[in-house]
Amino acid sequence: MFSRWNWVACGFYLVLSICSPDASGGLVQSCGHIIPESPVLALGSNFTALCILNESCLDFGNIYASQIIWKIKNRLVPKEQYREINRTVSSVTFNDTSSLATPLTCNILADGQIEQNIYGITVTVGLPPEKPKNLSCIVHQESRFTYAMTCTWNPGRHTFLDTQFRLRYRWPEQIFPDCIPKDVNNSCTIDDTQFFVNTEIWVEATNALGKAESDPLVVDPIDIVKPLPPQNVSITSGLLPTVLQLCWENWISDAVMTLKFNIRYRIVGSTNWMEVPPEDTASPRTSFSIQGLRPYTEYVFSIRCMKEDGAGYWSDWSEEKTGITIEDQPSKGPPIWRIIDTSQSPACWTVHLIWKALKPHEANGVILQYELTVRDKSSLSSPVKKYNVTSTNHTLQLREGTYEVTLIARNSVGPSPPSVLLIPASNSKAPVKNLRTLPKHDKLWVGWTAPNNYVLKYVIEWCLMSSSSDCNIEWQIVLGDVQGIDLKGIKPFKCYLITVYPLYADGQGSGQSVKAYLKQDRPSKGPTVQTKKVGKAEAVLTWNHLTVEEQNGFIRNYTILYKTIDGNETVVTVDPSKTEYTLSSLTSDTLYTVRMMASTDNGSRTGPDFTFTTQKFGKGEIEAIVVPVCLAFLLIVLLGVLFCFNKRDLIKKHIWPIVPDPSKSNIAQWSPQVPAKHNISSKDQMYPEGSFTDVSVVEIEADDKKSFSEQDLKPFDLLKKEKSTSEGHSSGIGGSSCMSSPRQSVSDSDEGETTQNTSSTVQYSTVVLNGYRDQTPVQVFSRSESTQPLLDSEERSEDHAGGADSTPQRQQYFRQNGGQDETNTDRPCFDKTKQITHANEGDLVGFVQLQISGQSSQPLGLGMEKNTQEAAVSNVLQTCTEGQTVRPETVEENPLSVDEMPKSYLPQTVRQGGYMPQ
Amino acid sequence: MAAAESPSAALRRRDLCSRGIRLAGKMRADVVDLLDAYVEQQGLDASASVAAVEGVPLAAVERWDEQTGTQRLLENLAAYRAFRALLAQMLEEQREQLGEADAGLGRALAAVLLQVSAFAYHLEELLRLESRGIPGEEGDEEEEDGPPPPPRLSLFEQKLRGLGVLRELAQWAVRSVRDLRQLAKPSPATGAAPGLAESP
Repeated sequence: MFSRWNWVACGFYLVLSICSPDASGGLVQSCGHIIPESPVLALGSNFTALCILNESCLDFGNIYASQIIWKIKNRLVPKEQYREINRTVSSVTFNDTSSLATPLTCNILADGQIEQNIYGITVTVGLPPEKPKNLSCIVHQESRFTYAMTCTWNPGRHTFLDTQFRLRYRWPEQIFPDCIPKDVNNSCTIDDTQFFVNTEIWVEATNALGKAESDPLVVDPIDIVKPLPPQNVSITSGLLPTVLQLCWENWISDAVMTLKFNIRYRIVGSTNWMEVPPEDTASPRTSFSIQGLRPYTEYVFSIRCMKEDGAGYWSDWSEEKTGITIEDQPSKGPPIWRIIDTSQSPACWTVHLIWKALKPHEANGVILQYELTVRDKSSLSSPVKKYNVTSTNHTLQLREGTYEVTLIARNSVGPSPPSVLLIPASNSKAPVKNLRTLPKHDKLWVGWTAPNNYVLKYVIEWCLMSSSSDCNIEWQIVLGDVQGIDLKGIKPFKCYLITVYPLYADGQGSGQSVKAYLKQDRPSKGPTVQTKKVGKAEAVLTWNHLTVEEQNGFIRNYTILYKTIDGNETVVTVDPSKTEYTLSSLTSDTLYTVRMMASTDNGSRTGPDFTFTTQKFGKGEIEAIVVPVCLAFLLIVLLGVLFCFNKRDLIKKHIWPIVPDPSKSNIAQWSPQVPAKHNISSKDQMYPEGSFTDVSVVEIEADDKKSFSEQDLKPFDLLKKEKSTSEGHSSGIGGSSCMSSPRQSVSDSDEGETTQNTSSTVQYSTVVLNGYRDQTPVQVFSRSESTQPLLDSEERSEDHAGGADSTPQRQQYFRQNGGQDETNTDRPCFDKTKQITHANEGDLVGFVQLQISGQSSQPLGLGMEKNTQEAAVSNVLQTCTEGQTVRPETVEENPLSVDEMPKSYLPQTVRQGGYMPQ
Repeated sequence: MAAAESPSAALRRRDLCSRGIRLAGKMRADVVDLLDAYVEQQGLDASASVAAVEGVPLAAVERWDEQTGTQRLLENLAAYRAFRALLAQMLEEQREQLGEADAGLGRALAAVLLQVSAFAYHLEELLRLESRGIPGEEGDEEEEDGPPPPPRLSLFEQKLRGLGVLRELAQWAVRSVRDLRQLAKPSPATGAAPGLAESP
């Protein structure tokens, strides 16, 4: 029990003893301390610390050195490093201080368990300073009287400690205050530098672990001066155009230091400095004349100085000053060239004289004017013409000839040497050979081979080719020993036309030209192709050349690419000089797509697509088909015609059947009782051809009706019946006749006699509308049926070729009009008619006169037996052929008696112009 | 001067002479500039005549060309030691009067003081090369003997004395250049005519 309370009391005391204020002045009275207190240790060295316990703590706390433990920060130091020296002292040893850290604490385990801190120290680990090296000093002149010496050195390795550097200097018998660097550890500046005394300078580095000194530098500061550059530099133009005088002031008096100088200069705008030879300026001075300069040229000057003996440093270059030399005479004449325009007239030249302004180093001043002299060498009597020009070109109107042009440039000092240009009447001399170009970076080299003769100069013309504007010529003159120049300012992808002229002493050679590109590219567009002509298997393509701006290079070839919609593309390469190409072996009636590509050395560009369709038939194919067909047709027609001609009789028989001879009609059996009262021939005259159409008139005298026997009329009845079913057959003749009115037929008949006889005659007529073959007649008049036997016979004659056989008897009752209509009858009819004609001389009055026009029946043709009325017959035939009409002919007949009329015919009222329908 | 001089000694002597000449030249230039600044700053008349400064040997000497080299060096050393003391006194008085108000003049005085000290060092080295003992400074001797303190001068008197010191120093600078050139000749004969009397 006691022991427990005793331990508690001891612990409490220990805490109090550690925490209670120290009676000696501290707040805390420690139970111990560590030796050494806050040491600074060299990195890598060994270190031993001692923890010493106070005796008082031993008495009250029962703590001993054996209970001490060491810690670095919170890390326990291995006990192998401890050593108990006595009951109050414990030591710890570190073989390498690099393992140390802050804080190092001495602790005690109270009661074997409670850890209490006794003391702690801060351990600083670092390195001693190294010997400063490479000490060097320079004295900067700051003003006319002040010099500051700055010394720099290498401070050496990092020490991890606070290290003081100080620059120290002294004279043999005088030590100056140290120079302590500010913010740096490798340089320091001494303001009050004194010259002409050897000064010992060194650097001293000091920290907690030691001190180090550099090797001393013994130097007279005057030997390490970097002076200020000369000031107030001025430049004065001298009397000579190649001299400028440079003046300046020095900051350092000769008493202190004598100087030597460097002078440099350059032309304004140039970056290349030239320097006056150093030996020329190696002595003290304040001015210098610079010679060998260009006249009328602005120069920039700068100067620097240093100690004459070379000890020390060069000053900085002074501020730059400019000066300009005075003018001098131009050193050479301007290069001159000409452009001759003979567009107005070959004999009248427009000469554009052009020359280049002299370069500054050639002009040597401001060119005030150019003096141009033109002498006609072809005419010695011609006066020399002089011109004063301020521009660089002049245009003259000259006659064709040889001229010598002299040009002088003049400035304020004087004239230039003359430039002479000979303008011959013709460039008949030898040209240059082998003109060629070669791109060189941004320049275009032009080379040529000299002609055999001696050449004074060469003129090189070049111009940028353009499709929209004239070639703007640039030119250059080079001496005769040059055989190649670099053209500058050449643009890439542009075509230049370069021409070289050799100039001889007595003339000029013709120019040789070459086109060139500095750099080529592919064309900016492709050609636009189109068809000029499209055939069945070929197509002619045309295109325009690309403009020179579009080419971007030499067009090496054109490529035509064409294909069908689903076919493979075909490629054709075309010479670049062509603008037309014919595609062959194309498929007919096919849609083709074609495009064109222009190619340079650097690429190609394709133009737009163009489509066309080949034709279905080739050229001449249609003609080859149509012409033979036409020819065949014509041949067939011709053959047909010939056939028809040969068979015309047969055809005629089919088309125009033989008209039955009325004289053979039955009616003819009684016709002799009717006296004919009219003259047929006269009737022909009364009814000219064409005056009757579509009318068939049969005039029968009423008195003669009786003369028709029943027998005679039977055929009429039969015919009437047939008529009702086949009027169309008769309409071809009589139908058309029916379209004429009875009145017309009357009026168109005998105007005189017939009209007089109408009162005593009965007119019979048949009017058939639309009567042809199968067409049904609209109207039939009964009177016309008097002619029905005729038509009936007519139709039957068609059905029966040479049908005169069937109607021989009836035909004999008819007679043709006065014999004219005999042409329409066959020979038998004619013969019959002749017979009747004889009978009619007095008896055949009232017989129907029927005139059938145009129906000549060749087989029945007109034989040599024609009567005297043959001519009239031919007239009738002609008329009928033309008009295709049947011209009825009024026949004066004696009217038949009513009794004699056949039953099937009802006599109409005998009244002129009237009809009595049945 | 030793008749048999080692090459290194001769080289050293020539070097010392050369530096001394240039130092004297620079010192004269600086003193002339300092005189202008001093007259202006102190409000004095540049043409004011000043009596000879006590303790400073006069630069002018009657038979300068008859002096030996050692004699020249000794006279120069005595003079510059006197100047060193006077300039140090002037610098102290300057600081007392103006404090840091005119640091430029003070720096110039300090610079001249340094040059005077340096020149004195040159003279001592030359004397050593002459194998001659270097005389002790009077001030030290006086100090050891307990000399009476210098009389307290008025401010104006201080200014005038300073002007006199600078003027005399300028004169001495000229003479020193001539003396050193004389000494720098290859085979100087004691008491020989100076021959070239180049002005600095």
